[in-house]
Amino acid sequence: MGLLAVNRIYAAITALVLAFVVLPLGAVIWVSFFANRILSFPATGYTLDWYVRAWQLDSFRNGFITSVETALVAVALSLALGVPASLALVRYRFPGRDAIQTLLLSPMVVPGIVGGAALFMAFIELEILLDVDISGTLPGLFVAHGLIALPWTVRLVTASLVGMSPSYEEAAQSLGAGRLTTFFRVTLPIIKPGIVAAALFSFVISFIDLEKSIFLVGPGRTTLQIALVSYLEWNLDSTVAAVATVQILIIGVLLLVSDRYARLSRAF
Amino acid sequence: MTSSASSGPATSGATAPVATASPPAPRGREGRRLAPAYGLTAPATIFVLLALIGPLALMFRYSLNRFVPGQMMVEALTLDNYARFFADSFYQEVLGTTLWISALSTLLCLVAGFPVAYFLVRQASDKWKGRLLLLIVLPLLMGNAVRTAAWMVILGDKGLFNAVIGAIGISPVKLMYTPTAVVIGLVSVLLPFMIVTLQSVIEGIDANLESAAQSLGASHLTVLRRVVLPLALPGILAGTMLCFILSMNAYATPVLIGGPSFHMMAPTVYQQVAKAMNWPFGAALAFVLMAVTLVLTTTANVLVQRRYRRWSE
Repeated sequence: MGLLAVNRIYAAITALVLAFVVLPLGAVIWVSFFANRILSFPATGYTLDWYVRAWQLDSFRNGFITSVETALVAVALSLALGVPASLALVRYRFPGRDAIQTLLLSPMVVPGIVGGAALFMAFIELEILLDVDISGTLPGLFVAHGLIALPWTVRLVTASLVGMSPSYEEAAQSLGAGRLTTFFRVTLPIIKPGIVAAALFSFVISFIDLEKSIFLVGPGRTTLQIALVSYLEWNLDSTVAAVATVQILIIGVLLLVSDRYARLSRAF
Repeated sequence: MTSSASSGPATSGATAPVATASPPAPRGREGRRLAPAYGLTAPATIFVLLALIGPLALMFRYSLNRFVPGQMMVEALTLDNYARFFADSFYQEVLGTTLWISALSTLLCLVAGFPVAYFLVRQASDKWKGRLLLLIVLPLLMGNAVRTAAWMVILGDKGLFNAVIGAIGISPVKLMYTPTAVVIGLVSVLLPFMIVTLQSVIEGIDANLESAAQSLGASHLTVLRRVVLPLALPGILAGTMLCFILSMNAYATPVLIGGPSFHMMAPTVYQQVAKAMNWPFGAALAFVLMAVTLVLTTTANVLVQRRYRRWSE
């Protein structure tokens, strides 16, 4: 087999795999414009009506709003907890450092369903103990999503700190800057790309989460992913395709922006 | 991502325990005051302990309790829930299905993912490599719900696939609610993880080794088998574990594409904990799932490492 033939085989397999991964998304975008009342092929015409209907459906509109709120809080929480921790993990050597790093990355490793079930049980116990509602409320979702986002933030921020020489910070401190001044005036501006990438990525990770949220949503407090799945269990139509298309668009833009700051394929 | 998978990722959210790059040993400040280090890590550490480790411990304790219908849970210290899992043929079948679906999906990912990773590293220009990798990773982060909806559009009885084969005169095929469809859906979730993991390992293999083997007369297949595969083995192992773990814990794909009579472990855990409200048994199921996954991946790891050592000697 000649070298050229071998290369062609690799290129062909790559093209097939790409099509396999990308085409389904193309299909869902395509059918979101179908005029057919009941989803079928081929299209009888094209329309934008499904987008209007999707926004009119309470479950999708409210789900979207809840998901955005939750994702924003998850980003804030994961940055507030993750950035200081990353700073310590990279700049200090201390007993228990490896253990803490493993612990902070562990929410990524524990399966979503298992972690979600455990958190659900803990919330119910707390409710009984404190006599307040937690499961099925926004704060409950915030905690769960902060937990999902944290390891990604730690990973991306430590990566950008590792790439930054501590001599800048040492120089600032030797010139008399305090710890806080050094952090806000020197460290933060330098690792900003890593933080922006972490924020965008955390947003996406929280927005698309399904397994953990499924235990924690309540009536009227449902995230978009749960709304999508409950809808899909009974029907598949162009309305749900329209919602999917909007989600693909939003996440696509966020990820393309975040890829400019830190290579996405390295986040895995 | 899924993380999990699963979630995406992870999965669903759940992803890549393997690709974690530990930052190199910190420079400077060693031996100085440690208080700031603990102060900075404390909030995040406490948060994870309270929101993850504590609840997991609580759930483990619950798995030893007894379930009494109408009363939910009675304090006990019993292994009945675990015993029930291994005595009930229904749950054995659920685990069996989960295992073979995961093994098959992982194998397919490896077979389809390796050539892609190899192509990206050895044949694509840097510019194209970046673009193609992004194109492979993007669908992964669209979320399990959206990706599953997309597959439903294609695989449905009146879906795109049947419409296309109908147009060329082939009678429609039943795909939705079949294990085949579940495997197709899972492979599309897991492939990006496999490709990214393999790509980063192949990247580290010196291309000169391949050229050397080739110039000595080895055919391309021999080069792959004798040079690339042994060197890429750690990556193959990591990618395989990752895909297997994520697929063992898959939720959206089996529920929506597998349909109501198709049972895998993660949806069963959800059903027991949230619907049947049988916490002790649901908790036991969750730990059986984690334990089986852990034992299998560790065993595979040890076996392959041993083999690898023999190879490299």
